[in-house]
Amino acid sequence: MAAIFNLSHHPSYAHWHFFQMSVPNVIVIVVMLVVFAIAILVRLPGAER
Amino acid sequence: MKADDERYREWKGGYRSYDLVKEASIALGIVLAIAVVLTILFSSPDEKSSTVQSWARSDPVDFVTTATRELDGSSASGRYGPPYNHASGSVQHAWFLHPQRWLGVSHPVNNPEDFVLAPLRAITGQPGLQSAVGTYESASANQQTAWTSAYEKGLMKAKVAAGNSISVPAGKYGPLPAMMTSLLSFAQGGGLDGALLASRQFYQTDYTKPLLFMADSAGGVALANRAMAEHLLGTQWGMMNETGSYPGQVWLWLYTFWYQVKPFQGHNADLLVLLVMGALSLALVLIPFIPGVRDIPQWIPVHRIIWRDHYRASTG
Amino acid sequence: MSTTSWTARVRERAVAALPPDKLLPDKQPSYVTSGIYIFGVLSLASLVVIIASGSILALKGPAWWHFTGVGHFFNSIHLWSVELFFFFMVIHLWGKYWMAAWRGGRARVWITGAVTFLIAIPCAFTGYLSQQNFDSQWISTQAKDAINASGIGAFFNVLNFGQMYSYHVFLLPALVVAIVIAHILLVRKHGVVPPFEPRELKAKVAATEPPADAESRS
Repeated sequence: MAAIFNLSHHPSYAHWHFFQMSVPNVIVIVVMLVVFAIAILVRLPGAER
Repeated sequence: MKADDERYREWKGGYRSYDLVKEASIALGIVLAIAVVLTILFSSPDEKSSTVQSWARSDPVDFVTTATRELDGSSASGRYGPPYNHASGSVQHAWFLHPQRWLGVSHPVNNPEDFVLAPLRAITGQPGLQSAVGTYESASANQQTAWTSAYEKGLMKAKVAAGNSISVPAGKYGPLPAMMTSLLSFAQGGGLDGALLASRQFYQTDYTKPLLFMADSAGGVALANRAMAEHLLGTQWGMMNETGSYPGQVWLWLYTFWYQVKPFQGHNADLLVLLVMGALSLALVLIPFIPGVRDIPQWIPVHRIIWRDHYRASTG
Repeated sequence: MSTTSWTARVRERAVAALPPDKLLPDKQPSYVTSGIYIFGVLSLASLVVIIASGSILALKGPAWWHFTGVGHFFNSIHLWSVELFFFFMVIHLWGKYWMAAWRGGRARVWITGAVTFLIAIPCAFTGYLSQQNFDSQWISTQAKDAINASGIGAFFNVLNFGQMYSYHVFLLPALVVAIVIAHILLVRKHGVVPPFEPRELKAKVAATEPPADAESRS
């Protein structure tokens, strides 16, 4: 089953000193941090002020 | 501290209505939807396996070199140690801890026999081959070593010849050229993959032998070169990565981090990293009991954001 | 009430710890307003999708997904739901850490949660080994060195597909599910951890507290 975006190619890598991480992994980590920040800022639906 | 902690045991304040089953159902729907969307957008990786056949065909010189090292026990798995044999090339320890030695040889592998001699003996209709195998087996250990050492030197100058065979400069190799010609041909025909797998019984699910053989590849042809191209080597933080551009195992970041740091780059790196990560994992589980670490949430009050409505209502 | 019947004793202990309105409550404390509180149930939902998609893969055996589009589809659902499981679970862990959710006798809730995370990792690892492709070949031949160095390789052979598949499809998921059930029941039993009481609030509460001889409900 063909995907809409073909991820079979080599990714780019982010380098910082000896840290080396694939860009997809960096994206996952950044999204996690952003989602965590949003989660602690927003309220549950139905929660009163 | 205990008395202080007791006041948090039970909430004596107000409640509001809440539908737990509905929330769980909605969460299930959301997760399923996200998983389906990601599947449609990106699918999942499936890089085909390497085989002994593909290895023998793509680099016959490397294949024969590796097979010769299996014969004289100088391959990586031949020199490994427990759980495969009694060597010590890959045996690790940390201070007084020698768990690899203590647990012993539980999955014995006989490299010359399993990877070369037994498969060759199974080839029928080639009396010249069986004679060569017999010559090798009946020679003294010193003679066998002399042949394999000379052949390995010759293989460094070997070239790929007609029909994807190899041609090695002349030398005192004894029966090895005849043996290796047959083994190479057997491997290139696909027979060796099956022969390495089906040994003790008809049904097999244990790939120890073919995988060790491929991992022994002298130039990393069978597996390591592919892995390097995909950034899966330890030095490339490979433990976190996936083939292609897929996100990998991000949660292994701290595990693979240690391998990049000085004290963990020696012979005993694996055991040392496991011990450190074991200790840190235990610490994670026991955070409620670790002074300092358990108090950070009070000192850095992220909770003021989480419970800001409650604090506003309480002080208002 | 019988004191000798094991069944009655188990029943009475269970009902005392988790009466129906605690097991399936329809109200929650008023301080549960933040979006961070959804990550536990999102982690649980991810686990359900993992098990459902994994069960479909198990129905057709380990080779199926390489040769059919439908099989590859369910393999992809399985992979992405695993990524989502770790994604939501780690955010849930971050939230619970900053809330110091082990307070008020809730240490076992934290412990079961942390252990779930730690057991999910080898469960995912055996999943990678069960793929029967290049990934499995590389991961197994690399991981064997650490596993062997620790002595675990003596009884856990990562190069043995059959053994790894058994761990992945049955043994480790059963363990994960058992610990998750314990975790959820402990949350239901102890309730969601109340907020920290800041000093100003403590002083205000102390000033309005009833006299020391008044009864307090347990």
